[in-house]
Amino acid sequence: MYQYNEQDQNLINARVEQYRDQTRRFLAGEIPDEEFRGLRLMNGLYIQRQAPMLRIAVPYGLMNSVQVRKLADITRKYDKNYAHFTTRTNVQLNWPKLEEVPDILAELAEVQMHAIQTSGNCLRNTTTDHFAGVIPDEIEDPRPWCEMIRQWTTLHPEFAYLPRKFKIAVTGGPEDRAASRVHDIGLHLVKNAAGETGFEVLVGGGLGRTPVIGKVIREFLPQQDLLTYLEAILRVYNLNGRRDNKYKARVKILVNALGIDEFRKLVDAEWEIIRRTELALTDDYIAKIKGYFEPHPYAADAVDGLSVLENQLEDNADFRAWYERNTREHKVTGYRAVVISLKPHLKPPGDITDVQLDAVADLADTYNFGEIRSTHDQNLVFAHVAAGDLYTLWQSLRDLNLARPNIGTLTDMIVCPGFDFCSLANAHTLGVAEQINEKFDDLDYLYDIGDIKLNMSGCINACAHHHVAHIGILGVDKGGEDFYQITLGGSSREDATLGKIIGKAVPQAEVADTVEKILQVYVENRFEDERFIETVRRIGLDPFKERVYATVN
Amino acid sequence: MPLLINRAVTEDSWLLVDEADFSAHLNEDIVVPYELFAEHSEALLSAEGKLGVRINGDQDLNLLLQNLDKLSLIAIEFPAFTDGRGFSFARILRRSGFIGQLRAEGDVTRDRLEYMERCGFDAFAIPADRYSDDITSAFGEIPVHYQGCADDERPIFRQ
Repeated sequence: MYQYNEQDQNLINARVEQYRDQTRRFLAGEIPDEEFRGLRLMNGLYIQRQAPMLRIAVPYGLMNSVQVRKLADITRKYDKNYAHFTTRTNVQLNWPKLEEVPDILAELAEVQMHAIQTSGNCLRNTTTDHFAGVIPDEIEDPRPWCEMIRQWTTLHPEFAYLPRKFKIAVTGGPEDRAASRVHDIGLHLVKNAAGETGFEVLVGGGLGRTPVIGKVIREFLPQQDLLTYLEAILRVYNLNGRRDNKYKARVKILVNALGIDEFRKLVDAEWEIIRRTELALTDDYIAKIKGYFEPHPYAADAVDGLSVLENQLEDNADFRAWYERNTREHKVTGYRAVVISLKPHLKPPGDITDVQLDAVADLADTYNFGEIRSTHDQNLVFAHVAAGDLYTLWQSLRDLNLARPNIGTLTDMIVCPGFDFCSLANAHTLGVAEQINEKFDDLDYLYDIGDIKLNMSGCINACAHHHVAHIGILGVDKGGEDFYQITLGGSSREDATLGKIIGKAVPQAEVADTVEKILQVYVENRFEDERFIETVRRIGLDPFKERVYATVN
Repeated sequence: MPLLINRAVTEDSWLLVDEADFSAHLNEDIVVPYELFAEHSEALLSAEGKLGVRINGDQDLNLLLQNLDKLSLIAIEFPAFTDGRGFSFARILRRSGFIGQLRAEGDVTRDRLEYMERCGFDAFAIPADRYSDDITSAFGEIPVHYQGCADDERPIFRQ
């Protein structure tokens, strides 16, 4: 992974001191509340329902064991012994003290971490595929490009006060595990007819109040033009995005208002001016950054573990269930990518304790070259585990309550913290997640239902991406009571689709029962091997509506 | 209202005029609002004194770009600290060859000075209640720049 050089380190150290001084001046009454709000948000600090919340950046979801141990330590020292992973692959602390945030940042800087631009109307953390670099059909590892984008976005002097937040996601090939089509910019590594690698560029996707699938603005962008083109888009957006209404300020609204062709014209006119400037990437820089993402030194004898693994899988049904649900193919024979489930029974999705963080760091050192990844669906990944190590790793994870074999199943939900923590939320989410977990704890049933994506947001801001879930649940407040609106048929993948609302919102107590009815309709109608989303697309919403609202007059 | 030019407190030598009184000051160094410039550009551009124009993000930068060599000062208004259009205006003006004074006005306070300077501003009109003597320490707080900007067009990989 990328390692800071002296300049990178100087930058974040200086940023810590800058923020420390801003905090000091705020507490001394020298910065008005509203202005400090802008400054602290640009450094990831929200003031929430119960306490401040600090969002720490995990650039493109990649961490090493030293960083994870530091996170554990920080949760002990400054928080309540746990942290929460988010859909931007970042990590949140729910109980830091405003005055102590500069000290937390100083500790993070020691391990090359920070909270720069994890909130606010600026360029946010770039995300990517959590299996980057290990997928067999990838065109190229997207992470070096993410790192170049990270550097370009970090403390960009021109784009710190955008009309609204701005998010970029990159995929290494046609498969999309990064929800790139619902980002302000989605970049897909592609090859052109001449065999050159570049990017397909999408713009204007997003969720929130107005969910939109991104539109192709450029089919092939040569790789050396990546930053000039991004800068052209950002300049057009900064100058033309709406600033009168924050709900209409995202670039998706501008793209829709102008039309993609007109927006493209503006971008191309700007790009023509800056394309050949010093911002054009150099071969040296590309090669240097790629050098940080060379494949790990995989063991040649890892294949020997396959026969051992075969026996272990045969002997232990629990291990086999975990292997089948929670591990994925690796491009090097003899290795697997392992998903560590942060969706245990009756615990908030995405939460992890200090003890678990420390243990995960140790396990990463033993089995995974010291590397840990966070995923946009709030799990962790060990991307390179030798076949012969899987069984012992599974045992260790099971002891830590991190081996629930539910990846890709109904209980692998993306859930925002909701009303319990978030000051934007209209409705609770964690209790409803528990309700669903209690109802669908039977693994045989979950496996029979198979691959399904259920996401739940506590308000229209859609932090949990409910619009693009197969089953989306949105909490709404009706006269002081929590109700839940259900959408079906969404997808955040390469076939990105927005789910459709099936009818009026259901009361809190009926959410899990409603999900059960939806699943019944699926089971009754599915063809053999047909996934939930495919059945929904084939039969449409009517059969689901009829069942869900049958008893309501 | 304290005025910083090139990081030093400086007396303002420019006169701000409006529709009613501009014709009386055509031989002095004056700053006119954008609308006035749009309406009377011929008279203003042929006057003897130096000319400055004040613009904000809602107005058309192209009119200034067409007359850059005849302008000695451009004041860009920040109506709110959240309005970042002025940063792009500054960047575009500098890359288009503007070498006169580029002044930030409006909601211009300490924590934006560094970015403003990087984007090409060299003058800052600071509201009196937000001014303090140590304000210039805001410049250069972050010594490393990943991006090229008006102050140095080289991004980190060309530095």
